[in-house]
Amino acid sequence: MSGPSSTSHLYRLGIVLVAFFVAAVLVGWWAVPSSWNFDVDHWYRKDALIDNAQKPMVYGGNESCKDCHEPAMKKLAKFKHRALSCESCHGPVADHVRGNKKFAAAKVDKSRWQCENCHQEQINRPKDFPQFSKTGDIGKFVKKHNLLEKKTLCLECHNAHDPTN
Amino acid sequence: MMPIPSPIEADTDSRREFLRNILAGTATATVLMVFGPGAMALSDPTRRTKNKAKHQFAYVININNCIGCGNCVRACNKENNVPASVFRTWVERYVVTDEGVYVESPNGGLKGFEAVNKKLRQNFKKSFTVPKMCNHCEDPPCVQVCPVGATFKTEEGFVLVDHAHCLGCAYCVQACPYAARYIDPIKHVSDKCDWCYHRVKNGKLPACVTVCPNKARLFGDLKDPESEVTKIFKEDQWMVLKPHMHTDPTCFYIGLPREVV
Repeated sequence: MSGPSSTSHLYRLGIVLVAFFVAAVLVGWWAVPSSWNFDVDHWYRKDALIDNAQKPMVYGGNESCKDCHEPAMKKLAKFKHRALSCESCHGPVADHVRGNKKFAAAKVDKSRWQCENCHQEQINRPKDFPQFSKTGDIGKFVKKHNLLEKKTLCLECHNAHDPTN
Repeated sequence: MMPIPSPIEADTDSRREFLRNILAGTATATVLMVFGPGAMALSDPTRRTKNKAKHQFAYVININNCIGCGNCVRACNKENNVPASVFRTWVERYVVTDEGVYVESPNGGLKGFEAVNKKLRQNFKKSFTVPKMCNHCEDPPCVQVCPVGATFKTEEGFVLVDHAHCLGCAYCVQACPYAARYIDPIKHVSDKCDWCYHRVKNGKLPACVTVCPNKARLFGDLKDPESEVTKIFKEDQWMVLKPHMHTDPTCFYIGLPREVV
């Protein structure tokens, strides 16, 4: 009389392990994206870089204005506000040009807020930064002529590109 | 006949050996810590340039130059189509007084700041604005906790989000010590500042750097000896936010006051 084989349980265990291994390989093949980067320090899907880079650009920087506004830009080079970004007052280039063609006028916010945003006197600004103080000489002048009450725009007297002239 | 070793002598021998081992171990550890490969890990930003990638980008924020105008926040929102109520970058204003430090960031500084109220204005010691954003850490906690590998560090230093695979579980939002991440209320995936990856890949600067009027924000390649960020490390003192978190940020601050958290 022969009982169950003394090694059959090992075979069964082996079959289970092989099944697990095959399942792991199949699940891995199905679940891991094809462009996976297997560098342990940089563990990512390589195609995600392409996806991230495809977003359209809205701001072009001052160099993007040069193609059409070269003469104006040259004049600007001597002005006080030369280092500023054109787009922070005139709006981003994507709202103005599409496919190398102008499709809408660049909108300029001429309100006083646009100037005060940088030049209103604030305790948090660097001390040497030019600020409009209500108590200083300019403030006294403004008060004398009631410019604040009349809602006079800064730009009525100042040139936005060269405000100190 | 073999002499029987005295138990006391044997004990002395093993104790000597033990002490000798301890001394050798301490000496080796000290030498390794001072001269070993990890010795400069947290103090030298240029170590980043020792990898094989072509570029190694870094960001510098100069607090001394920030005027708190909010141009960066407005440009970032437009460039990246950031939904209302969340921010990829924001500006905080600190007012330090005798009674304490007051911090505010009304709507992320999107519309600049109102004048500080009279009571604070009369007894303030100092006040400044601090732009904040994703620090693109060298050892980012958000990447460690992501269960699906949807947020990652690229070889060039960007910490990016794979929007196609993000589950929106918000583990990374909780893990970030700088509160730089948010769940997009429209797409329901995690998002944050990506240093304008799409712009940098096209040879432009990030939108916030492009519009900053006072050079408070700088961006450049640490592998380029002529770039602005490299020069700053040669000249000035620099700081990072929350160094005790050991995230090793790649967003460096100049003139960072001690009150900033």
